[in-house]
Amino acid sequence: MKKNGKLPKPNTLNRILISSRSGFSQYYASVIITGLAVLLCSPLSNSVHYHIVSYILLFVVLLLSTFLGVGPVLLAAALSALTWNFFFIPPHLTFHIDKMEDILIFGLFFIIALVSGVMTSRIRHQEMLAREREIRTNALFTLSRDLSGAGNIQEVIAIAVNKIWEQFGINAFFILQDGEGNLDSNARGTEIRHLTAIEKEMAESFFNKTDPDSKIKQGILPGNETMILLRGTRINPGIMLIKNSMKESEEEISFRETFTAQISNALEREFLGQLARKAQFLAESDRLYKTLFNTISHELRIPVAAIMGASDSILNVPAESSLQKELFSEIFTASRRLNRLIENLLNMSRLESGRISVKPDWHDINDLVNKVTGDLEDELRPFTLSIRIPDSMPPVFMDFGLMEQVLYNLLYNAAQYAPVASVIELKAASEGEYLLLELVDHGPGFSEADIPHLFEKFYRASGSKTGGLGLGLSIAKGFTEAHRGTLIAGNHPDGGACFKLQIPSGKPEIQTFKAIKND
Amino acid sequence: MTEDETILIIDDELQIRRLLEITLKASGYHTIASSNGKDGLVDAATHHPSAIILDLGLPDIDGQELLKKLREWYSKPVIVLSVRNSEADVVEALDNGANDYLSKPFRTGELLARIRAALRVGDDKSDTTCIEAGSLSIDLTSYTARKKGEILKLTATEFSLLALLARNSGRVLTHQYILKEVWGYGYTGQTQYLRVFVAQLRKKIEDNPAKPSLLITESGIGYRFGE
Repeated sequence: MKKNGKLPKPNTLNRILISSRSGFSQYYASVIITGLAVLLCSPLSNSVHYHIVSYILLFVVLLLSTFLGVGPVLLAAALSALTWNFFFIPPHLTFHIDKMEDILIFGLFFIIALVSGVMTSRIRHQEMLAREREIRTNALFTLSRDLSGAGNIQEVIAIAVNKIWEQFGINAFFILQDGEGNLDSNARGTEIRHLTAIEKEMAESFFNKTDPDSKIKQGILPGNETMILLRGTRINPGIMLIKNSMKESEEEISFRETFTAQISNALEREFLGQLARKAQFLAESDRLYKTLFNTISHELRIPVAAIMGASDSILNVPAESSLQKELFSEIFTASRRLNRLIENLLNMSRLESGRISVKPDWHDINDLVNKVTGDLEDELRPFTLSIRIPDSMPPVFMDFGLMEQVLYNLLYNAAQYAPVASVIELKAASEGEYLLLELVDHGPGFSEADIPHLFEKFYRASGSKTGGLGLGLSIAKGFTEAHRGTLIAGNHPDGGACFKLQIPSGKPEIQTFKAIKND
Repeated sequence: MTEDETILIIDDELQIRRLLEITLKASGYHTIASSNGKDGLVDAATHHPSAIILDLGLPDIDGQELLKKLREWYSKPVIVLSVRNSEADVVEALDNGANDYLSKPFRTGELLARIRAALRVGDDKSDTTCIEAGSLSIDLTSYTARKKGEILKLTATEFSLLALLARNSGRVLTHQYILKEVWGYGYTGQTQYLRVFVAQLRKKIEDNPAKPSLLITESGIGYRFGE
């Protein structure tokens, strides 16, 4: 046990241990008490038999043995025996002993002193251990009581630091994890201490390496601080740091471990509570998100669908004037743009919330290309579209809806930047178990500065046309990645922007069309 | 154009309902509109419309349930309205007896074409032996198909596939339905088969197999034989 000069109040355990030691004061006390007993007995020497005096002195020795150590009791016994011999056994004032019974009594002093001294010190040792245990039990009880009253992690730490100080006189620090296994870079105790890079690294490797079954419970930091892993039943809340150079007994180690376990459990409880609150919060926000998503998508789509439908209907009947036709055509185009914007926003939020689930099936790439080029018929009209899909193209295992959006956004993007009447090339190929799509336009291409940012949300390349949110490409990339594929952008060697898409195409059971020609 | 066809619209969205009514009236149809499922069922029973346009997202009754209830006694065409990215709902509705679908936002031309096709399906065509589509003619009794007068070399499966789609000209047929009808129960789920056969068939019957006009893909749902 470490003695600490800064202790705010005396350490109970230390007090007992100090008192159990045979200090100088005890010898002093034994000499004085024996002397007093002899003095008190001296008037009796004439009236009573000197044997009675020996009983009285023996009684005093016995009495002393109940509260003094073995040494002082032996000293008292020797003093009593010698003074009794010197003053009370005739011939008085000599150490001469004649009678056999007196020699026996003289020896008895030492035997009684020894036996009683050893016996009582043993009893006292047991008693001390019992008291020590009681104090520890009490300490653990008050610790667990105080910890159970703590409302949050800060309070748990404050109580733990305080109790460790009271019990062990050690200034403890705690490095906690964030709930996902990453340690804090601050050690928290009576004050907050910032960990050095080396300390942090060592703490992390100690924390992460210590698996639940490992026997290693301690590590040492450069500042001679011991790291003790705080173990929980489900998660380990972190590490406790203590400056401890003392040798500890088995019992003390196990006490300290129980103590630490209590703190660990309290911290873990707070952690799990925090996680539960977080989960609840997430569930709440998820519910809110779903409601908002559904409402917004519904409330925006319906009016736009109505505008699109109405303007389209008007365009289908003979117009009264060419001006009217042009105006309705403008309304229709604008509503299509609005519709595209809503779809992109909804898709972006689906991506952002991780709500994309790929539902793949076998699809013909021709179908995909036809659907998208059909939808973009108006936008692609000013261009020459060159589509090259090999005859032997096998079906691809993909989510049609998502890939449709990818190709739509890429083609729409090309239509925005390629010069009118230029050629937009779309090539599909099957390589191994991958589908490759390549889209090349003959526009200005990208500036080198733009290329790394093209797929960022809301990024608008320099020289972009006005309009558009800058979401299309980032959605295309997101949806491609949802297919475990890649989408890269660059400039074609012959000029113009070039997008290369690659997704796993699945393993077709029917390798080529020829294989089943004769069914 | 049939003058006396009455079409019932069941949709809770006022704007969509009105848009449909105006468009259909302009094309010479009579219309009745209901804003919820309960009223829709009553209107269907009292007016016996020639066709029903049913929105799948109704506030009171689930569209699929309403469709099942309707189908207990109503045998005329039902076209369901769906939103984007809800192919699974459409397939379910088609399985529950819907004849066709339209996804919002839809083009007017598309809407009218679907209604025309659906109303025509109502006519009994079971004794038709010869189907003409563009330069293609299919003789169901002799199992032959000709393109511009020339007999096409079709395998038995290809012919059954073509005949099935052609008999239901203009209507969407789901993948599972086609697989079940042409290949049998053991093949449902084998969309890959279907893709390969359709691609193969397109090469034989289409003028431009890459841009098919007869065998039209309804992505995520099935195929439709174009008119």
